Amino acid sequence: MTMLGDRQQLSYIAAQAADARVNVELETEGMTLNIGPQHPATHGTLRIVARLDGEQVVWAEPVAGYMHRGYEKLTEVRTFPQVTALINRIDWLGSFANEVPFILAAEKLMGVEAPPRAQHIRTILFELSRIANVSLFLGDLGVQLGAVTPVFFAFRDREYVLNLIEAATGGRFHPNFDRIGGLKDDLPAGFIDETRTVMVKLRRFCDEIESLLFGNEIFQSRTRGVGVIPRDVALSYGLSGANLRASGVEWDLRRDQDLPMAWNKADWKVWTHPDGDSFARCWVRLQEVRESTKIVDQLLDTIPAGPVMTKVPKIIKVPEGEAWVSTENPLGEMGYYVVSKGDLGPFRVKIRSASFNNISIVPWVLRGVYVPDIITILASLYFILGDIDR
Amino acid sequence: MGLVDRGRLPKPLTSLFNLGRSYSLWVYQWGLACCAIEMGAAFGSPRYDVMRLGVIPLPASPRQADLVVISGTVTDKMAPAIKRLYEQMPEPKYVISMGSCANCGGPYWDSYSVTKGVDQIIPVDVYVPGCPPRPEALLEGIVLLQQRIKNEDMGARWRGEGTRPMSAVDGSSAEKGGVPVVVD
Amino acid sequence: MFPLSSTETTAEVRDDVRAAALAEVTGALGDAVRDSLLKPGDDIWVRVDATAWRTTVETLKSLGYGYFCFLSAIDWMPSPYGKGEDDPTEPAVERDMTIRQGYAGGESRFQVFARFVKPCETVGVTIKTDVPESMSVPSISAVFAGANWHERETHEMFGISFDGHPDLRNMYLPTDFEGHPLRKDFPLLARMVKPWPGIVDVEPLPGEDSNGEDDAS
Repeated sequence: MTMLGDRQQLSYIAAQAADARVNVELETEGMTLNIGPQHPATHGTLRIVARLDGEQVVWAEPVAGYMHRGYEKLTEVRTFPQVTALINRIDWLGSFANEVPFILAAEKLMGVEAPPRAQHIRTILFELSRIANVSLFLGDLGVQLGAVTPVFFAFRDREYVLNLIEAATGGRFHPNFDRIGGLKDDLPAGFIDETRTVMVKLRRFCDEIESLLFGNEIFQSRTRGVGVIPRDVALSYGLSGANLRASGVEWDLRRDQDLPMAWNKADWKVWTHPDGDSFARCWVRLQEVRESTKIVDQLLDTIPAGPVMTKVPKIIKVPEGEAWVSTENPLGEMGYYVVSKGDLGPFRVKIRSASFNNISIVPWVLRGVYVPDIITILASLYFILGDIDR
Repeated sequence: MGLVDRGRLPKPLTSLFNLGRSYSLWVYQWGLACCAIEMGAAFGSPRYDVMRLGVIPLPASPRQADLVVISGTVTDKMAPAIKRLYEQMPEPKYVISMGSCANCGGPYWDSYSVTKGVDQIIPVDVYVPGCPPRPEALLEGIVLLQQRIKNEDMGARWRGEGTRPMSAVDGSSAEKGGVPVVVD
Repeated sequence: MFPLSSTETTAEVRDDVRAAALAEVTGALGDAVRDSLLKPGDDIWVRVDATAWRTTVETLKSLGYGYFCFLSAIDWMPSPYGKGEDDPTEPAVERDMTIRQGYAGGESRFQVFARFVKPCETVGVTIKTDVPESMSVPSISAVFAGANWHERETHEMFGISFDGHPDLRNMYLPTDFEGHPLRKDFPLLARMVKPWPGIVDVEPLPGEDSNGEDDAS
């Protein structure tokens, strides 16, 4: 177990003592602040109801459900290939990454495995969608702090990645490209060279964001020591992804799990940060985009030859059983618990989405912070509404 | 603008007003789901740059907006908020419904919690289909809306006779008032 | 890599890590365990008594399963509406309504299940429990704070209440919503009004037998 750093410990104590302190020092009248359900700062339709004492939050509660579309019920009336078209839209910034764990779960139940080339291309597209997802986060981060410029950079460079995904899959946003037993198609001609140049651009984008934002004094003073989440609290709330790694837990499902994907064929690093504050979460994500570009670069060199689709029946019936597969998605651990009864469609799909757990910590972490910090903490926790409400 | 209030406005003056209105559209971005990102790409990115069309995507409140883009899945829980937002907007106001979910429910046509189309709550002027539509499709929807605004009889609107074109001779379907337009 | 999926565990595939984990868990839980299943290279399932649900979770936490993954429930009753693809003008279709539980067995229609993982080691365990007639299971939100929202969601979707939960408000749906959507007998009304047009998808292709055994080559 890693020990809490001094600064982390101090800021944690300060945040927790804040509401008590205010009540003793000043007699103030409480006020309820309602943010949302539609508010630019919550990038989506999350509603936050906060009770304030002066400028400090005494109690805050997110109200979800404004984007609840009933995925788990709808999957029960769809066939297995139809489900992938739906679950693309859970985390709409990294759509391809949503398909992979579901397809892997179905393949696990059927006892088939995608050919090596398909596994390789899946991993490349998975990392491309991570880059598309997190690069928008890095731009959006600036907006939440009042700096508009980074979002233009993010939208500019994200387009290159979307073009790549579109070239390979035919869809900018929702590829629906993953099939049980492989992929719909092979990579298009010229994809590899184009991807290499784009990865160079993305690394330059990371450098730009780092010098624009992360070195900025205002950015640092607004994020360092704000919204500290210690390791144990993070684990008990089920935080995952960069939020967990920013609290000092060195755990990445891409590395630590044995899945038929190609991450272990590349050399890359799992970044962690001991502080657990907003800055740490943002910083870990920035490093992850860099690592992803490196993973893609290495995997492009070693794509094996062969087919992209294994032999599967035309009408897919999945044998009876239960399977759980989760992967390290851009937002954190995303998993599907698939129950099949030997039918054309799943009997029950439990979707474990990362943001749902990541946001459930909000009432805890917002206690005692100042009102402007609500926005930066929410931004650093990074959620996608579809991923919370499903 | 006493002339406008009485519903009598000379045609050249109307054309002038309409020209002005169509090229200073203040858009309120009602981003809900996936389409919100494509709307963000259309409005906020240097590649698509909506401001060259005379559209300003940054009003602070719906009370300052002429146009609202409903982009994404409308749920039954969200519907009252959308209705309320629409009522806050000053006349004349326009609505673009972006994406299959806002048009008709889209992939969630059989869901228990999704409103099957935002047009059940508020009137829609332009439908932009797609899941999600590309940013270019949204820009075309805005251009179609501008064509309609340019040809609108403001006097009729003030007299409470609804949206209708200034003259009946225009051929383009986009310029017909009252009927929603679909981007194809 | 994945072993071939089969319902019986074969002797050839060994998984010492998970076997040891299962022995550790069942040993610590003692009498509370009703049934368990180990699929080598895949996962561990343990079914416990509903009264021992909270102590089970506390035991798992003390064994090092400190990462709360999810909590949810399953309704094992087959849907009386099938996939909602019936023609409403035809007489109602007869369906096999026998309740068959999944891995690690079961005795009731509803089961609550949750997953806990040892962080960094990525060894997880899925625990299940039968929901008694009272439709009430002890809450674990005091043990794992993250379970709070998951229990609210499960309560809303299945109508299962959790004893000791601070506030079982609706998570997603408006407060006046009636019914529990994830119960199998909750109908999707939009599918009921007309025959599902996509039914053509499952018709056999010409020149091919209908059981779908042909390879896609």
